[in-house]
Amino acid sequence: MTMSARTRGIGRRAVLAGIGLAAMLAAAPASAQDLSGELVILQWQGGTDAEMWQKLEADFTAKNPGVTVRELVVTGQGDMRGPMRTALLGGEKVDIIINTWPAFRAELADAGILRPIDELWGSAGLDAVLDQSWKDLGSTNGVTFGVNYTYGDRSAVWYKKAHLEKAGIEPPKTWEEFLASIDKLKAAGFAAPIAMPAKYWAHGEWFETLLLRTGGVEAASKLAAHEIPWTDEIVKTTLKKYAELLKAGCCGTPEQMFAGDWDYSADQIFTADASNYLMIGMWMNARARNDYKLNEGVDYSIFQFPALGLGHDDTSSVDAKEVAVTANGANPAAADAFAVYMVSKDAADILASYGYASPSKNADPSLLGPVQQIATAAVAQSKVQFVLGDLLPGDLVDEYRVQLQKFLQDPSDATIDTVTAAIEAKAMELY
Amino acid sequence: MQDSVAPESAGARAGLSSRLPGEQSNLLARRRKAGDWPAAWLLLTPVLILFGIAVVFPLIDTIRLSFFDIKGLAKPKFIGLGNYLKLFTDPAFRNTLVTTLIFTVSTTILSVGLGWMLAMVSAFAPRQTLPFRVMIFAAFGISEAVAGYMWIGILRPDAGGLLNAAIGLFQPGFAQPWLGDPRTALWVLIVAASWGGVGLPLMLCFASVQSIPKTLFEAAYIDGASHGQVMRNIMMPLSLPGVRVAIFINLLGALRAFDIIYILTGGGPVRSTETVGYFMYRESMTQFKLGYGAAATVVLLVAVLVVSIPAIIQRTAGAR
Repeated sequence: MTMSARTRGIGRRAVLAGIGLAAMLAAAPASAQDLSGELVILQWQGGTDAEMWQKLEADFTAKNPGVTVRELVVTGQGDMRGPMRTALLGGEKVDIIINTWPAFRAELADAGILRPIDELWGSAGLDAVLDQSWKDLGSTNGVTFGVNYTYGDRSAVWYKKAHLEKAGIEPPKTWEEFLASIDKLKAAGFAAPIAMPAKYWAHGEWFETLLLRTGGVEAASKLAAHEIPWTDEIVKTTLKKYAELLKAGCCGTPEQMFAGDWDYSADQIFTADASNYLMIGMWMNARARNDYKLNEGVDYSIFQFPALGLGHDDTSSVDAKEVAVTANGANPAAADAFAVYMVSKDAADILASYGYASPSKNADPSLLGPVQQIATAAVAQSKVQFVLGDLLPGDLVDEYRVQLQKFLQDPSDATIDTVTAAIEAKAMELY
Repeated sequence: MQDSVAPESAGARAGLSSRLPGEQSNLLARRRKAGDWPAAWLLLTPVLILFGIAVVFPLIDTIRLSFFDIKGLAKPKFIGLGNYLKLFTDPAFRNTLVTTLIFTVSTTILSVGLGWMLAMVSAFAPRQTLPFRVMIFAAFGISEAVAGYMWIGILRPDAGGLLNAAIGLFQPGFAQPWLGDPRTALWVLIVAASWGGVGLPLMLCFASVQSIPKTLFEAAYIDGASHGQVMRNIMMPLSLPGVRVAIFINLLGALRAFDIIYILTGGGPVRSTETVGYFMYRESMTQFKLGYGAAATVVLLVAVLVVSIPAIIQRTAGAR
């Protein structure tokens, strides 16, 4: 009896405790739940980025001791979507996919690999952490799939301070000043002031920001969706502006441009002291700090693309990286918690320590280096458009880059007509 | 003793000997077939299974894929010969066919020609030159990826590139972007690819020369032939079997070339160095159009077969 009475007493306490625990779990965010098991992340980044990811994962597992993280590493050169597709088609099951291509997100979502996170967005209160624009950027056809954790300014022009000092110039603010600076840099002994990495794809960087500054975010967005043709006057004007740069002798011969990829071009500025300007994106910052051992803001800096004066100088091209959770992962609870963690203050601090900006409102901009602060401020003041090359269908990207190479060979009006017609013909096949 | 043998009996013996061994061998063969087949199959089965997994299945699957429209991770759609029709109207693919032809023929001529010539010279070279011959052959053992990165250093477009620096000794500040110029990129690539390909023809041709009976050389020299005449009239014609094998191997290698193109030029500039092998990679792995890439693979396979079959028939006939 006593036993029985005691059992009943314990039962009542257990029921009460159980109800209390259930209420706590229901109210608590996913990251505070008792998470366990293995979290598998499809990893395609290397070098410093991979090192940063290991720190992020270690911090996450320290906060969630029941979880172990395993990276499924895919390796390759250039576009990493191929190795990622191979892994996924090969039957690999992962919980988290790191993605930087909106077109790839759409492909993954269409294939049923991604799990929508609109519910998670609401329950984790992500509206308070990320602006609507970042939510939109992580969405495909109105459904949210990605939590953007970092972004980069693709309209920044990198330079070494000593070069501009040698030429006696300040970072140019207008297009005219920019063209004049090319003459001055050439007079100071730099034969090709712009290091134009045209071997594979990076010559598109100049085109894309020129397009934004010529036609604005709306025109760039319509072009990406093929709602305006590539033969549109906006595209032709953009190429004519690009031609002004080439005719000013910015970049050496086409053969020199085709001989260099982006890292060779970076070397030309930061180690060979042979060139002065580079447009490539914010990953240059990690390279400058870690590989060239340069002092951010002291040895090198950036200026925002000069104003064209065509009414769209408040625009910038950006790239971003997101984490997306999968529909077939074995550990959806940990995946959700990790996605939320990536926009936490601790994650933003780790990102900042590697020179990366976070779009999270939890991020402390003062932790960023001086160059990254310039970029962050510029993006905050801009109407932004995602990198065009990552929005276009794969076949069109290829054609667009090859046709741009043809334009670099001969930037005449006749070539502009030919290359825009060729890209348009390809676009007509694909849309 | 043989002379004393009667013609009839000799003829009969000859007849017997011409008939009996045939009958005996047939009987033996039948016995071997009947008695040995379980053991034969047992020994063959692992090889056949491995061959099926590694060669037959991927081949059949590639042909199957070539009839589907596959874009990225989307579900495949059967389109019959659609990929092949598109392939032959695709100007990029037509361009790759021409580039592949130039690349294949040029690298074969260059590497086999050079290898053959070096083999001839090596035959007269003193023993002390052996390390140099080994070094030339060693290039064949270097992976194309490693060789590619070595060539990047040689062909750097600035004055710091090894080739530019060497020319710069005579013309200070010389800086030719070898791989950036569509007019030179393919030819530079051919030189780089041929460099790694010289070793094998050298060894094959040298082995052919070594197998020539010494008496032929002795007779030629006794008759007063010069080194040049010996090379032209004895060594070159009698080393042709080695040259033929070297041509065959080089043609196959050049047709399938990918690594060095991927590393040095990525098919550029302006697609000037894009071969079928690289096109196949670009379509399959970059664009992830597996069906279209598979169709290009099948076309390449047919080209390889066209090159291989006559050589295989010739080798098989030679063996008989």
